[in-house]
Amino acid sequence: MSYQSYRGTTLGNTLQESLDELMQYGSITPQIAFKVLLQFDKAINNALATRVKSRLTFKAGKLNTYRFCDNVWTFMLNDVEFREVQEVARVDKVKIVACDGKSDKN
Amino acid sequence: MASAVEDRAHYSLDTLEKSPTKGNTFNPDASRIPSAVIPSTSPKDQPCSSSTNATPQAVISYVPPALNIDSGPVPTVQNVVSTVNTSCTLDLRKINFYTRNSEYNPSRFCGIVMRLREPRATALIFSSGKIVTTGTKHESSALLASRKFVRIIQKLGFNVKFQNFKIHNMVSTCDLRFPIRLENLNQVHGQFSSYEPELFPALIYRMVKPRVVLLIFVNGKVVITGAKSREETQEALDNIHKVLKSFRKS
Repeated sequence: MSYQSYRGTTLGNTLQESLDELMQYGSITPQIAFKVLLQFDKAINNALATRVKSRLTFKAGKLNTYRFCDNVWTFMLNDVEFREVQEVARVDKVKIVACDGKSDKN
Repeated sequence: MASAVEDRAHYSLDTLEKSPTKGNTFNPDASRIPSAVIPSTSPKDQPCSSSTNATPQAVISYVPPALNIDSGPVPTVQNVVSTVNTSCTLDLRKINFYTRNSEYNPSRFCGIVMRLREPRATALIFSSGKIVTTGTKHESSALLASRKFVRIIQKLGFNVKFQNFKIHNMVSTCDLRFPIRLENLNQVHGQFSSYEPELFPALIYRMVKPRVVLLIFVNGKVVITGAKSREETQEALDNIHKVLKSFRKS
């Protein structure tokens, strides 16, 4: 099983909406939609691991809260500054959910 | 011992007479001297205006050594380790899930590591219900932190108690401000000390009464560990200070 966390991205959301629509029209069965989503999980995990080369750095003013539960780190950051070479974005609050990238290669 | 106290009192009197600020700045050390040994010429008898001739600079340059001689070395507590028992089996996964600033990695360590911002403290929480609180610099904040940790667990619906709170270890440091001949000390106090400069630069001194361990560094800095109370730490430091004075590097 790959992580399903990327279903919440724009790409994942639109895919789910399309699948819902197709199911309403009766073009596909829920089982097929489920399979598509599983394939999406696998594909996006693989793509992000192998194809993405871009980097950005970020720096937080303060680590508000952290938690380590079931091999997942959760960080709540305040006053975060994201930097990608020249572009800078500032955000008041950021929540980071970090899963283990290595051990779950399947 | 009594003579030493008198000695200190003398020094303090000295400083008080020379001080233009009527002893306000000396309150901290005055508290260390038993009131009985302060003679009748206490600072209160001095008029405020009598010492206006002393320049502020002179006073400032004079005070620090006087403070030091007067009170003798005082250890600063750096860490307090305490335990408390909630007498309640705890579901660590639940606690970890519902609390902030907690880590639970059963494959590495069987307890939860939880931290607190105020007072700054770290707790190790075990499923047996025992909690170890570390990282505070005072006994009272260790107690407060332990209570806060137990309260956090109580709010998750566990039927907790607050039993057997106990301070297990206090680590303190002190700078005696004179260099020490460690080899010599090791020869004379061989039954208490071990000194292996190739392994560790400090001399390890296992004091019997009070039962504490001291790390003595060449530059005169001392770490006192294993004490159960502030009094033990102070007693150990007073003892070792007397010893170390005779092993001062010329």
